[in-house]
Amino acid sequence: MLKTTAGNGKSSLARVAVVAAGVVSPLGFGLRETLDSLREGRDCIAPVTRFSVAECRCKTAGQVADERLINDQPEAGRARRLHRASFMMIYALKEALAQEPRFKPELTVVGTTSGGMSYGEDYYRSLYRRDSLRDSPAWIANYPAQKPVIDAQEVFEISAPCQVIANACASGTNAIGHAFECVRSGRYERVLAGGYDALSELVFVGFDSLQASTPEKCRPFDRHRTGMVLGEGAAILALENLDAARERGARVLAEITGYGMSTDNFHLTQPDPSGIGPRRAMERALQSAQISADSVDYINAHGTATPFNDAAEGKAIGELFGRVPISSTKSMMGHSLGAAGAIEAIICLLALQHQFVPPNINFRAPDQLVDLNIVANEASRTVLRTVLSNSFGFGGTNASILMQKFEA
Amino acid sequence: MSLAIAGMGWVTPLGDGVDAVWEQLLYGHEACAEKISEQFGNRSYSAFRVPESALGRLASHPRLRRASAISRFAAAAGLQALQAAGVKVEPQNAERMALVFAISNGGVIYTKRFYRDIVEAGAQSARPLLFPETVFNAPASHLAAILEITGSTYTLVGDSAVGLLAIRMAEDLMMNEELEYCLVVGAEEVDWLLCDAYRRWRLLRLAPPLEPFNKTARGMILSEGAGAVLLSRTGPIMIAQTDAGAYYRKRTETEEILNRILSNLTQSEVDFVISSANGTFIDQAECRALRRILPDAIVYTAKPAVGESGGAAGLWQVILGAQALDRGELPPLLHVTSTIPLRVPASRTALTKARHAIVLSCGVNQQVAGLRLSIP
Repeated sequence: MLKTTAGNGKSSLARVAVVAAGVVSPLGFGLRETLDSLREGRDCIAPVTRFSVAECRCKTAGQVADERLINDQPEAGRARRLHRASFMMIYALKEALAQEPRFKPELTVVGTTSGGMSYGEDYYRSLYRRDSLRDSPAWIANYPAQKPVIDAQEVFEISAPCQVIANACASGTNAIGHAFECVRSGRYERVLAGGYDALSELVFVGFDSLQASTPEKCRPFDRHRTGMVLGEGAAILALENLDAARERGARVLAEITGYGMSTDNFHLTQPDPSGIGPRRAMERALQSAQISADSVDYINAHGTATPFNDAAEGKAIGELFGRVPISSTKSMMGHSLGAAGAIEAIICLLALQHQFVPPNINFRAPDQLVDLNIVANEASRTVLRTVLSNSFGFGGTNASILMQKFEA
Repeated sequence: MSLAIAGMGWVTPLGDGVDAVWEQLLYGHEACAEKISEQFGNRSYSAFRVPESALGRLASHPRLRRASAISRFAAAAGLQALQAAGVKVEPQNAERMALVFAISNGGVIYTKRFYRDIVEAGAQSARPLLFPETVFNAPASHLAAILEITGSTYTLVGDSAVGLLAIRMAEDLMMNEELEYCLVVGAEEVDWLLCDAYRRWRLLRLAPPLEPFNKTARGMILSEGAGAVLLSRTGPIMIAQTDAGAYYRKRTETEEILNRILSNLTQSEVDFVISSANGTFIDQAECRALRRILPDAIVYTAKPAVGESGGAAGLWQVILGAQALDRGELPPLLHVTSTIPLRVPASRTALTKARHAIVLSCGVNQQVAGLRLSIP
């Protein structure tokens, strides 16, 4: 729990507002399309088209359509050189800045796992096969993991320093959580936070080789779940000191009220089956927000649909929260790795704004080992005040954030 | 806020251990370059690599059995820093220590090996044991497991300025008064593929020497290793100020950002500067900015002796700065082949009563940052 004191010894924690948001994912381009997909429980998983998956068990993923992504660029001249992850980040930032054109961040914190990985693949493959390396300078220049956020800032003439967090699948939630703490501590007034990742062959085959991805439908928390499907996308949230935001008359979309993180040292790729890592992250988020578990109205679970993750997460949620409604929206759009936490934060934001819980699609039968209240297959209208979003990653990194409906 | 350096760890091509590496630098020694080649590459490159003997004292741990070189470098440096500070992570304080890990290219050797199998023989040949080691935060995860840290663990990715950005992030984290320590580790491993990429980008020299501040930027020599700095609230050497800087869009903007950072960090007296000059375009930008803002400061870079180590570079610079303040001298700057319009230590140079140093990190991938070290 963040604890800082002002010179007078009193707690000096600021409230943190979300004043703008932007997103692109398999669920759609922008907040409106994302909201529609969530309400409809749309299955946005499709056969992979970017590279051959003929030898993989899994053949599907959530993908963002290139035609729209690239044609919609503010700077068409540079478009040929940039990586798809940059295009996604530019789209998300464009949408957020359309809501808050004068938002000038002092810091940008984003999560990613692989940045421009597919350019690294192009480079290696061309070297290996002795193909033309004519494009290699552009591949190399646009490969670094930090490049997409720098590209996006450059388009909109933002020059804030960037902290690029690569905490595997927890990266996006870690980025938002860290940005939240930066504003809450009073060190910063305005911070951009988010995440991005684009599908790549190396990562796709990696998860396939671990048999973590499924040839079937992605069924989080289902008794017969068989694994995850990958996704891609980008999302950005503009965080601001609430008092400063209100003073300048900004529209407050929601508040971030808590962040918890834990590291479980059980295994590089598997969670501790006791659920202790996720449990600690969620408990710390509750402590950080100074609320009890029964204040939480909905949980957007990490819910990858792998047997191990859902068992550990389900156990921790069941023990801490009982039968609070939960869903994994990865069932609709796949797991977008470093972007997942940021996209799911935006899903929570939409849920709070529009007072509904998004569904966990492809759900057939509850897991007998965990007693959970799954929002099965259809969205439902409900009263939401406080929601929790979880992200857990390779390396035993666990992160949870709490968001709250803004009440003036 | 200011933080103190409680302990440091150093694994470099010149050996391991802060005092041992420092001695080598003071004597003007340079790491031995090793030729590295690749079966499908038609040329070989020179790189400074960590000698196997440098990791000889690293205790075996189940997590390191199959881990990549970068993870082993990081583990050795991290353990050294804790040992130097006399700090042991126990269950009761495991949550009171954070870990921030700086990385640039990550586990490139295993990543290449994993992808090579896919390209050579198809997806079914992919080895599942290798894949997790390709993930950027694998080294941090191994280190957290070895040290039994259960609180905040972050991996930051960026260019060679990422080490200073990691220290800035440590400052952010230490705003939380419940944290006692933050261990900041930077690490990198070198591979033929990286050398080839930087050569195609016209940033690499095929063989040493790495000539700092030369008007003709002949390129850098890549290296590997790790640096670790354990930060606490009080201690003999403080990180008095950090500047997370900005990124440059064009190389011509680099000097302007450096000017801004130097102006910000020189509100009080400065005795010397640990520069990031590495034989590329950044040298002239740093040279011009230093001449303008700090014309009298002594400027040193260790990169001619130990190479450009990407994610580890910023931490190495901080260790150099802290060591120079503590010992009151600077090593000789190697391979000065032309007249440099800066005050550089041509030989081992005493720093009488030096109390303040600036560390500048300018990366080749657009990021620039700086910090000021002080003896209170």
